[in-house]
Amino acid sequence: MSARQAIQVGTKTVKPVLSTTPGEAKRRVLNLYKAWYRQVPYLVKDFDIPKSEEQCRAKIKELFLKNKDVTDIRVIDLLVIKGQIELKESVNMWKQKGHIMSYFKPTEEPKPKDFLSKFFSSNE
Amino acid sequence: MSYFLKRTIDAGRNIGQQFLNNAKTTALQRVATKTDQAAPQVETRPTVAKLDPLQKSQLIDFGKYVAECMPKYVQKVQLTAGNELEVLIPPDGVIPVLQFLKDHHSAQFASLIDIAGMDVPTRPNRFEIIYNLLSLRYNARIRVKTYTDELSPVDSACDVFKAANWYEREIWDMYGVFFANHPDLRRILTDYGFEGHPFRKDFPLSGYVEVRYDDEQKRVVVEPLELAQEFRRFELSAPWEQFPNFRTNPATEEVVNPAEGPAKK
Repeated sequence: MSARQAIQVGTKTVKPVLSTTPGEAKRRVLNLYKAWYRQVPYLVKDFDIPKSEEQCRAKIKELFLKNKDVTDIRVIDLLVIKGQIELKESVNMWKQKGHIMSYFKPTEEPKPKDFLSKFFSSNE
Repeated sequence: MSYFLKRTIDAGRNIGQQFLNNAKTTALQRVATKTDQAAPQVETRPTVAKLDPLQKSQLIDFGKYVAECMPKYVQKVQLTAGNELEVLIPPDGVIPVLQFLKDHHSAQFASLIDIAGMDVPTRPNRFEIIYNLLSLRYNARIRVKTYTDELSPVDSACDVFKAANWYEREIWDMYGVFFANHPDLRRILTDYGFEGHPFRKDFPLSGYVEVRYDDEQKRVVVEPLELAQEFRRFELSAPWEQFPNFRTNPATEEVVNPAEGPAKK
């Protein structure tokens, strides 16, 4: 019986992506946020975008707060990894101005919320 | 190939004898007798590859040998399309099994041809990662398959095969499977700022955003795409038959399933 258990193939246990505790995941998120925050002046200057540092910081905060309700550690870790990859793309100037500006979405019209604006915007 | 044949057949014979001595009705033994009896079908169509029964028996023997050598990691060995050997392993076994196949003297699968991904959303582990290996020494190919889901990392095969680097980046980009310990995991096919993983079955054909040049902004802008409700239906099966020539091809046959073998004792 023990021999049978010894060669049990495949496990059902969940493998951590990076962090094993929520505190660790939170620390990773904060580190990523600080890294983005510190890069803001350089990004504004290097990409020559028509935004101020304050606006960029507000945008970073908004993008991080968009995922504030995520509680699964592994999902948080994957989001952090994707954020790190994006930071690297920005800092190394692999991205271009348009890619940075696409965070701000100036051409996007806000979706109609109340009845009247829905009525005005509808084609029918 | 003859060298390969001799070694693997010897190895296979030894294993077969051991099993004959130990147990009367194992999965191994049953399949072995079935393949011995299989009458060679003569393929007359000129455009269809002819099946070589000798090669097939060698592959079966080699599959059994691999399963014997790595009982902890090999979940199943199967033969598809008559002459393609597949080894099915759990995600923790990627590095040991690939290292074994690369360095074992009678395998020498030293070149990694490709790593493919597959998405089947109905499975509990929806992604399948498929490693295609080639042994130049023995002119043989083998396929190693493993599984994962959106959140479970798979060990990167970069330490074993340098070629895995870009293939794994491709899988990460297209399916969002995270490879642990990859030296340089980043996007390879999609544009910077692209969100989502396009080869997932739940990714709509039109994507989530559309990209156009804006005259006022003097640059390319990205805007969300409104999908009409009727295009939100995810039809996963194609309306046509993909491989009509393979309609009568031999089905997947199991060579050995070590997880079930000892249970029957």
